Parts: sequence; C-alpha cells; structure tokens
Amino acid sequence: MDFQSLVYQGLIGLSLSMYLWLVAAGLTIAFGILRVLNFAHGSLYMLGAYFAFTLYYSLKLNFWLSMVLAAGLVGIVGLILERFLFRRIYPLEEAYQLILTFGIVLILSDTVKMIWGGVFMIPPMPNIFVGTVNILGRPFPVYNLFVICAGLAVTGLIWLLLERGWWGKTVRATASDREMASALGINTPVLFTTVFILAAVVAGLGGALSIPVRVVAPGVGTAIIVQAFVVTVIGGLGNLKGAFLGALIVGLANAYGILLFPTIELFLIYLLMALVLLVRPKGLLGG
Amino acid sequence: MEKTIGEIRMENRNRVVARWLLGLLLLVLFILPWTLGTYVTWTASNILILALYAAGFNILFGYSGLLSFGQAGFYAIGAYVCAKILLGTSFLLLGFLGGVLAAGLAALIIGFLCTRHTQIYFAMLTLSFGMMIHSIIWKWRDVTGGDDGLVNVPRAPLAIPGLFSIDVSSVESYYYVVLVIVALGIFLLWRMVNSPLGLALQGIRDSEQRVAFSGLSIQKFRLIAFAISGMYAGMAGSLMVPLLKSADPGMAHWTASAEPLMATLLGGIYNFAGPMVGAFILYVAKELIARYTEYWSMVLGFTVVVLVLGFRGGVVSVLQGLLFRRTGTVSKRGVDA
Amino acid sequence: MKRRGLVTLLVLLVSASLLVAGCGQGSGTKATGGASDSKAKELPLGVEVIKIGVQGVLSGSHADYGRQIQMGATLAAEEINGAGGILGSKIELKVMDDELNANVAQKNARYLVSDWGANFIVGTDSSGVALSLGPILKELDTIQIFTHAATEKLTEDLVYKQGIKQIFRTAVPVYQDAIMAAYVFKDMPEVKRFAALNADYEYGHTSWRMFKETLSKFRNDVEFVAEANAPFWTADFTPHLSKLMAAKPDVIFATPWGGEAVMMLRQAVSMGVFEQIDAWWQAMGGSVDVLEGLATDVKRDAFKGKLWGTGRYLHNWPDTPENKAFVKAFQQRWNRYPNYSAETTYSAIYMLKAAIEKSRSIKTGDVIKALEGLKIMTPAGERYIRPEDHQAVYNVPAGRVIFSSDYPIPIVGGDLKIVPADEYYRKPPFN
Repeated sequence: MDFQSLVYQGLIGLSLSMYLWLVAAGLTIAFGILRVLNFAHGSLYMLGAYFAFTLYYSLKLNFWLSMVLAAGLVGIVGLILERFLFRRIYPLEEAYQLILTFGIVLILSDTVKMIWGGVFMIPPMPNIFVGTVNILGRPFPVYNLFVICAGLAVTGLIWLLLERGWWGKTVRATASDREMASALGINTPVLFTTVFILAAVVAGLGGALSIPVRVVAPGVGTAIIVQAFVVTVIGGLGNLKGAFLGALIVGLANAYGILLFPTIELFLIYLLMALVLLVRPKGLLGG
Repeated sequence: MEKTIGEIRMENRNRVVARWLLGLLLLVLFILPWTLGTYVTWTASNILILALYAAGFNILFGYSGLLSFGQAGFYAIGAYVCAKILLGTSFLLLGFLGGVLAAGLAALIIGFLCTRHTQIYFAMLTLSFGMMIHSIIWKWRDVTGGDDGLVNVPRAPLAIPGLFSIDVSSVESYYYVVLVIVALGIFLLWRMVNSPLGLALQGIRDSEQRVAFSGLSIQKFRLIAFAISGMYAGMAGSLMVPLLKSADPGMAHWTASAEPLMATLLGGIYNFAGPMVGAFILYVAKELIARYTEYWSMVLGFTVVVLVLGFRGGVVSVLQGLLFRRTGTVSKRGVDA
Repeated sequence: MKRRGLVTLLVLLVSASLLVAGCGQGSGTKATGGASDSKAKELPLGVEVIKIGVQGVLSGSHADYGRQIQMGATLAAEEINGAGGILGSKIELKVMDDELNANVAQKNARYLVSDWGANFIVGTDSSGVALSLGPILKELDTIQIFTHAATEKLTEDLVYKQGIKQIFRTAVPVYQDAIMAAYVFKDMPEVKRFAALNADYEYGHTSWRMFKETLSKFRNDVEFVAEANAPFWTADFTPHLSKLMAAKPDVIFATPWGGEAVMMLRQAVSMGVFEQIDAWWQAMGGSVDVLEGLATDVKRDAFKGKLWGTGRYLHNWPDTPENKAFVKAFQQRWNRYPNYSAETTYSAIYMLKAAIEKSRSIKTGDVIKALEGLKIMTPAGERYIRPEDHQAVYNVPAGRVIFSSDYPIPIVGGDLKIVPADEYYRKPPFN
C-alpha cells in the first residue's frame, strides 16, 4: 500500500467522521448539560435529511437555504420534543432514558414513513459540487471536501457559542452546578430548552448535508445513532472534545478498516468501544 | 413488618386461588394443541420461548438493575450451537444442552468483563459484545452460513440412545417439548429468585453500599446473574431452532435484544410474572395490530413512552392494583416504582 | 407480593388463553361456511375461491420491492377474476409483510396456510428468508412460487438435491448477476482488470465467485485486482470505492442493490470514478427504483455510457404484444412502471392458473406435476419450468443504461446483450 493511497483513504475517512461528529456533538451536549441519553438523536438527523429533501427537491429552494431551513425546522421539532417530553425524561435513570428514547425512535421512523413513504429518495447533486479536485494525483470529490469544511465550521460555531459570550457561560455554570445556577437567577428550564434546540439543530444539519450523496430513508437514523454512541463513549460521555476525537477515530477506523482489514471491518468499531470501556470507562478524554 | 391476621388470611386465600389457577393454566396449555390447530400451537410455542427469554432477562434487568443490550448475542449462540449439533447428530437434547452450555460459557467470559461496570457503561459494553458476536456470525461464513444462516435443521427425535426415542417432528409434539422445558426453566428461576441469591441481587440493586458493607462480593453476584440470564437466552435460542428449522444472524443483532426488554417492560419488571405476561401481550398485540396497520411499531413506541413515564410497574402492577386489595407488606418499589 | 404476583399472572394467562381459544374457534367455524357449499360443488375445482397468500417486504428501506410484488399479484388476480376466474373459481389474495425476517415469514406462511386457508403462496424477497421457508413449505405441503429471492441454493440445493418439491421460482437467480456479466465481458477484450464492490452477504459473495469462475473459463488474460465488502446499511461507499480505485481497475463489478445502489453510484460519480474506468457492472441496475433514482445522472451523462445493468425482467424488453399489454395495464392500474418483482409475481399467478387448468385440481401434488415442464407465455417472454429444479428458464438481456425518448425514466437498452437462457443458466446436476 503506497503512501498516497493511505493519505487519500484518510481524507475519505475524515469526511465520514464529520457526519458522525455532527450527530455525536448534539448527543454529547445533551448528555453533558441535560444529563439525558438520547437514543432518538439519530432520528433528528433523519428528520433533517427529510426536511432538506422536501425543501431542496420538492419545493425547489436554493441548496444553501434548504440546509439552513432544514436545520431550523429540526430545531423546532427539538423545541416541541423538549417542552412536552424530554423535560420529563431528565430525572429518569439512564437505562430508562435509553428505553424511552428508543420508543421515540420507533414513533419518528413510522411518522416519516407515513408522510414521505417507505421508499428511499435521493435528490440530484447541486451543480456547484459536481466535479473533483486533484489530490496526490487522484480525483477527490468536491462534496466530501465541502462536508469536511462545513463540519469544521460548525465546530467553530459551537466553540464560540459555548466558550465565548454570555450564553455559553450560563450553560457551563448550570452544567457544573444546577442548584447554584438557579439560585443565581438563571432560568434553567428555558436554558435547557435552548441547549436541546442547539443539539437538535446540529444533528439536523448533519442529516441535511447528507442528502446529495446518501439516500434518505426511514432507517438512516438508527444506522447512525449506534455509531454516534460508539463515538461518544470512546471520547468520554459528555465531553465535547472527546466526541470530536472519537468521531475522528471511528471515521478513520472505518476507512482504514475497509482498506487494510476487510474481514474484521464490522467488528472493529465495537472492539474499539469495548476496549475503551474496559480500560478507560470514562472515555479517552473523560474526567 | 408485622402482619395483621386479616393480611395473613388474605395471603392464604391468594395462595389457594393461585394453586387452582396454576392448575387451570397448565390444563389449558396442555390441551391447546388438540383443540386449536397448528397455527395457534406454533404461536403458543413462540410465546412460551419468548416468556422464558424475557424471564431470564429480568434476572439481570429487574432483579439486578442491569440493562443489557447484548442478550441477543447469547440467544444466537444458543441457536447456532444447537443448530450445528442437530445438523451433525440427531439428538435433540444434546442440541439443547450444547446451546445452553455454550451460551452460559460465553456469558461467563463476557460477563466477567461487563459486570465491572453498571448503568450506561454496562449497557454499552453489552451492546458492543453482542454486536461482535453478530459480526462473527455474519462473517464466519464457512461455519455459520453467513446471512443465509443454517437452514433445514431437523426437528430431531427426543431420544436417549438405548433408552427411548420419541418422534417430535410435528409442530404439536414439539410444542410439548417446549412446554415442559419452559415450565421447568421458569420453576427453577422461581426457586432462584426466592433463594438468598435472589434477595442478594435485589439488595445490590437497591443499595450497593449496604450489601458491600455486609461483606458480599457484589461483582460475583452480578456475574452469576449475568451467566444465568445468558443461559436462559441460550436456552430460548436453542428451543427456537427446531421450531423454525433454521438459525439466522438477525437473531444476534442489537435490535433483537429489544424484544425481551419490551416484553419485560410491558409486563412489569419488579414482578416475577411480569416478563411472561409481557411476552404474551407483546406477541399477541403485535400479531393483531400488524393485521390492521403497517404502523405497528409506532403503536409499540407510544406504549413504551407511556409505560416508562407513567406505569413503570407494567401491566401486572396496574392489574394488581385493580384486582387485589393491598396487604401492606409490599415494598414501595414493588408496586409503584 | 410474590404470591399476589403469581395469582395475577395466572388470572391473566388463563383469561388470555381462553381469549385465544375463542378467537381460534371463531376462525375455525368461519372457514366452513355452509350456505355456499352447494354452489362450490358445481364448479370443476369444488371451491368458490382459490386463496393465494402473498409475502414480501413492505416496511423498511427495501419496501418498494414488496410493494411491487403486491401490485403485480393484485393486477394478475384482478385480470383473471375479471375474465371469469380459474375454471369458475375466483382468486382471493392476502398480502403480508415479512419484514425480511425469517421468523416473521414463517409465521406468515403458517398463518396463511393453517389459519387463513391459503392454497398457494407467492413472493419473498430475501434469500435467507426463502431458504428458511423451504422446509416449512414441505411441512405445510403447500406450493410457494418465489418471485424475487435470488440464491441459487433455493433451487439447486433445496429442490434438486433435497427434494423439496413445493418450491418453485419464476425469477432468474444469481446466474443473471454473475454468469450473464461474464458473457458481457468475455466479448470486451480491451478490459482486463476487474474489481468488486460486493454486497457483504451471500448474494454478493456468490455473485463475485461465479463471475470470476465463468469469466476465467472464457478468458485467461483477466485479473481480479481488488475487492471491498459493504454490509447492509452502508451509508457511504466512498472508502470502498477509494480502495478499489487505488488498484486501477478497468471494470467495477457491484452487487449492492436498491437504494444502496443509487447512493453508491452517486458517490462513484462524485469521485470521478467514471473518468477512470471502462465499464461498471451493476447487478440489478435495471430495477425500476434504481433507474428512477439515477434519472438525473443518466440525463447529464454522468456515467459516460459506461454503466451496465440487468434485472430479472426489463419493462422495455421483449418487444412483444404480451409485454406491451402488461406494461400498459400496470401503468393504468398503478401509475408506475412495473419493476421485475412485479412481473415475476404477475407471471407466477398466471403460471398457477395454467397449472390448475391443466390438472383441473388445486391439490399440491397435482399442481406440482402440472407445473413441472410447463411452458407459458409471460410478459418477460416464454418461461419453461425445469422439472429437475423447478426454476423458470427465460431470457433477460443485459445492456448499457441509457435514456430513450420512449420512456420518462432511463432504461437498460444500449448494446443489448441477449444470451439464450439455456446457455448461461447453471444446469442440473449443479456440480
């Protein structure tokens, strides 16, 4: 295996990581701040894809506008879910959170089936992304490059939101001590709603970004959520930097697994997760 | 807690009613194949197997407070080992024995690693081990047949060489094999949960520290529960193979682990009877709902949400509340939790 | 608490069993309704309705295949009933979702036969499900005509070697994906380096193995340079493609199907794969859902005419009155083009009709005899049911995926390669 192929495969792996990261980021924010393990988070990714498909393909809106609107709509779904359901879930034990949100997965999958039908859908590739760029003598898809950039940009935005400015400070304060925060006059229920919306928007954006190259179908949410769980567990539950690292590891392990160890490729990510849990149960970057 | 005379009298009455009903239930189950035809008999076999699977699962979930997403792995190990044995030899009991032992052994090894953790870490570990089993079955095509699975497994006669041989190739006669083994398995489980072991497990679930102070090894008890639960999953898997005459890798997938979980949740987790009642309701409800709408999993989803939010004790608790007056000796957790 | 739990359990289980008993009894009496008996006796078959159970996947991402099975079966039954039924007896259908799950499919088969009273079953998409159903059909002694499942083991092992005579199949098995491909590439001497993107299950692995074996018999100058395996639910094929392209192949042989095929081809286009290879073999690329999904890419010539596809039937071939009438009727009834699983199921019902009329019986044994060796004209052309393995033998071409002004969606129509089925199908004794 020559050096060029390894680098090229790595770049491909990096674009896989970005989809995972967008789902895992929301999962991690929700767990780190709201203490909720959301199995249905993958379903928000799925909803993002369906909304984007309808906006971009059926309603013929501009691609960029479709992406933003789809993410926004998922945010609204997040708002409704949080107000009426997740609020009641926060106090539950983690095991019950998992089970209950699994129930939500079933409901949402059937709902999209009712609305959009069970058939897979894929819109045409937007013209600006048709084509390739030359990397190490091989053509590399422009769209994958775009996904990598978009993923990094979102990472920057999340960092700005959480580390700079008033909102992030309040969120971090509440995360470390809820009672103290409400004693200081922070309206925690409203804050929690905004946090949940942020998590939903990011996952929705991930789903929206996937539509020109990945099909939209009722099962895409469940397919990605298990991988996203692996990512967050490897990085450390609730640890955002860890989730980013975890996404990189799983994306690259997937790409290199296919290239180098095709027979155990399926096995590999679960083995990674088990090893991390056994050796460092709090994850690679967990405290 | 002191019992009043009224409470003791009530318990005695309940005990008598219980014996009569147990007798009646066994009678119904016994005559079922004669009166209701092959399809109902086949369905009843499935429900009995799911009941055994769920009851074993609840040793881990309800009694020990550990949520496993890898149960399907042990179920599949039981199924595949049993299928392999039946394709090679033709001794039904050997197939069952092999399936249970293999699943038990796997559960011991994996349990040794998993039971060091609890909560979400335990759930994720069992998920990853279960999926590793799934991918081994999927990829080890020479032995497991890949996604085609193992097919045309015979419903071998119930025999001990030199002693006896009973033909159980029809669905009706195989049903009796299932009935006897499930009844035996559930009886054993009943004895277990009412033994010191069962009490210790519940003690650990409710307060780890208290049990630790009393000098018991918590991990050892959890490991025992894990192994028992794995063996019951393996038993269920082995029983299923001759019924289906096949084993397939879908049996090992994590989504299949949700089945005993749903049954248990539906019936009620803090009650010995819960998982079995749940298995019955889950199977029959799915059967009936699926005939009218393709959206049965949405119905299931809503049921799960309502159960977890409002009725953690499941159907059994709700009905208990309706059918019986409280005797006052029930722990808070047993009814309301 | 313990005792009370037990009592409750027993109350529940007893009442439940009684409930089930009641239901069971109910359906039992329904089956032998008395009034119409006399009318049925006058009919040659002695029954007023012939019940045909239909199974396919109706949920999840492959649901369109099951729906096509349902549409094909319904159309055939409506046509036959409209023309007076089979020897005066009407067809009644019951469609069930098998969820691509062996346990569910067995439950359906048992329900259809034991409870609903099906005389025959048609359908089934998944190979694994089909294989697990085989022994059960023998136990139920009921004929099922399989209309999609593609594993060669179904007919070669279960029928020919193990003698389960209740199994028939109207759809061509993996021979189409593997051996037909070898026939295409044996005549393209300029392509030498082959790489595989396998569906990571028996179907994909068997197709690649058969393809390699057959092509190696024709040519000794070919190389098989790389392979990558993609399991069910692969969302991104770019790492697989990247691996294959590093080996600089002339041809990619790909077996993922349905939505996965569309996504894989889209990703291949985005990577510029079609600038670097000479041909792409897409097994079942002629499936209507795939063609619909690829329409915009074919229109903008993203595949540069290098995409080859086939199916178990192509709606644009053969150019016969039977096929034209079928496609027209299907479009009128369902407002869509028929996919192959619709045609194979439609033809399965007509095959049952022919066999019942020939034997003047609906008994399993009689109909099996009548089906063996049956020759019948169907939309896909003449089908001959080989008596040894119960496989329907008929021609399906392969070709380049192109746009034609006659159809709104792309078709498999360029450089059509037609090989007599007799030549490329594997034959008994299947060594």
